[in-house]
Amino acid sequence: MLIIRPLQNTDLDALYKMTQEAGKGLTSLPADRELLQRKINRARASFEGRCEPEASLYLFALEDTDLQRCVGISGIEARVGRDEVFYNYRVSTLVNASRELDVHVRTPTLNLSNDMTDTSEICSLLLSASHRGGGNGLLLSRCRFMYLDDFRSNFSEKIFAEMRGVSDGEGRSPLWDALGSKFFDMEFSEADVLSALGNKSFIAELMPKYPIYIPMLPESAREVIGRVHQNTEPALSMLQAEGFNYNGLVDIFDGGPVVEAFIPGIRTVRASFTRPMELLEGPASLDVPVSERVMVSNRAFADFRVTTIPAAWVTPDSVQLPADVAAALRVKAGDELRLAPLKDLSPNGPRDEAEPEQTKFNRPLREE
Amino acid sequence: MWVVRPAQPDDLGSILQIVRTRGRGLSSTLPRDRHALDERIALSRRSFAGQLSSEQFSTYGNGRFMFVLENTEHRKICGVSAIDSRAGNGEPFYSYRRDCLIHASRELGISRRVEVLFPSHAITNRSLLCGFAIEAELVGTPAFQLLSRARMLFIASHRHLFADEIAVEIQGLQQPDGQVPFWDSLGRHFFNMDFKTADEYSAKLSKTFIAELMPPSPIYLSLLSEEAQRAVGQAHRAAEPACKLLESEGFAPGCYVDIFDAGPVLEARTDQLNSLRSSRTKVLDSNDHTGGPDYLLAAGDGIRFRATLGPAKEETGRAATSGDARERLNCRAGDALCLANLIDESAVC
Repeated sequence: MLIIRPLQNTDLDALYKMTQEAGKGLTSLPADRELLQRKINRARASFEGRCEPEASLYLFALEDTDLQRCVGISGIEARVGRDEVFYNYRVSTLVNASRELDVHVRTPTLNLSNDMTDTSEICSLLLSASHRGGGNGLLLSRCRFMYLDDFRSNFSEKIFAEMRGVSDGEGRSPLWDALGSKFFDMEFSEADVLSALGNKSFIAELMPKYPIYIPMLPESAREVIGRVHQNTEPALSMLQAEGFNYNGLVDIFDGGPVVEAFIPGIRTVRASFTRPMELLEGPASLDVPVSERVMVSNRAFADFRVTTIPAAWVTPDSVQLPADVAAALRVKAGDELRLAPLKDLSPNGPRDEAEPEQTKFNRPLREE
Repeated sequence: MWVVRPAQPDDLGSILQIVRTRGRGLSSTLPRDRHALDERIALSRRSFAGQLSSEQFSTYGNGRFMFVLENTEHRKICGVSAIDSRAGNGEPFYSYRRDCLIHASRELGISRRVEVLFPSHAITNRSLLCGFAIEAELVGTPAFQLLSRARMLFIASHRHLFADEIAVEIQGLQQPDGQVPFWDSLGRHFFNMDFKTADEYSAKLSKTFIAELMPPSPIYLSLLSEEAQRAVGQAHRAAEPACKLLESEGFAPGCYVDIFDAGPVLEARTDQLNSLRSSRTKVLDSNDHTGGPDYLLAAGDGIRFRATLGPAKEETGRAATSGDARERLNCRAGDALCLANLIDESAVC
């Protein structure tokens, strides 16, 4: 059985291994035990209510109960831009028009912005290669929307995600080469690592503050602004299917887009419903195709648990769980559980991702 | 011989020819359109005569003065130069201020110098030398010096008409094929037109009109093409003699450059100009003096202003020159004569 639960101290080794596995392709999540331990500490404090809601970071582990090991994580940063300054570029349009000159030129411009300050961010999604497919990426990503809705007062109404921008096999970003590197003598991969270590706002302070006129950048840089890395395309279509849209902001380093949605409008939130639990007697098989499974959450703040079950277990007035699933979710008969489809019903929905969804894991850590 | 005098209506054809053949050398400071040039000459006449309407006065300040260089033997106009009493002529005068910012991070132990071009109106309302154009074969000759420096002598004898600070824009770098690297890297993106076309519009409308369509924000130098970065503050080769002459007058490049081609803006304190400091005004004697080196000579108020090259003999409070020079200056014994030494040509060209 695969189950979502809060990240724990005992997950450190597995998490470290996953970050090593992700390797060079995901320099924004360096394999750094100390850094990962700090993340876990912060997540523990958040789930246990030991830190302010606004300063919280909720990290969820995907545990394979057979292996008794964490095989993926995903997270929610309650608010960005509180201790550090959160920067993006806003892609805006400057129109230059003159009737006398018969000129009407539109100049796309990058304006430095802190617009996402105090907004909740979904982040830190990473899935072990051994567990890709089978809807596990969807579960890791979508379980967060049920959490966001059930504990809405802890989050902003608007939710966003920063999507990884374009870089090549060597970790070179065309936008960084044309822009950032002119102000900061460093390779993109190095800057990205520094960011992940919590220095992003320091680097941002070295970046240009005045608008950047995009036509003045080389074509290689112009064309990646607002575009995602090839490996992130499945993640983008998944979020788009949830109702997330590009909001005109991009990452200041690699130009990756920011997508946003409002909690009440998120597809998983809208499609979810509650049922009281009943114990399912007799033989029960979890082994059904992804398209016939639904997510079920225990709606607990400190010990949030989600798994997927066959849709057939959901009746008009109850959800029936066998004892082992109920135990894994830490629920008992009569508890009101929350259910939502795992996969999109529309034919245009995202394919079951072959590649892991990769959002950025680049929030500066706070010392705790 | 040569005389510099205020432009008059019948100079129109000659001036047009000079302006048009010089083409880009003049940039936009004098109109290349017959009607516009005619109006400019009329404005110049009223400025010299101190007869600006109150509306003109509020726009142009003390006015826009245009001088011509005339060959008195052939009665031929061979050059033109001008002074605007206030740069911008009632509108903002655009330049870029080349400046620097330090992007530093205490936490990362990094400090970088970042060069930025800031849009600036600082030159607005300073006095501005402009419109200089002369036949190519006269470049570097005493006539060249006369045409340029006559303006300084006019300022010396009409100091109250001009600001305490004075500037002049020098044409910027242009490649042999007519491409302007700075424009291509910056302005072109906002106009969808090449430099030549923009320059033509600039002459037809006003420079401010075009400048207002330029990007309103500062420009990071490091984001321009390398050719454009190199062009910032560089004078066009053809403008070098004029530039050197102005430098010998005491003009120096500061932090301002032209917003279209990034040519340097030379600046000076009006009272510190060499011609203003070294020129002296004496009472003209009736006796003739011939022989010896030529001087820059100027006489006459306002519309009667004349400058020429001629011999001179100076005594305390008095000076004599040749009968020809007196004739060219249209003055007689007892009038005030302004004298200045010629600058050694080898130092200029």
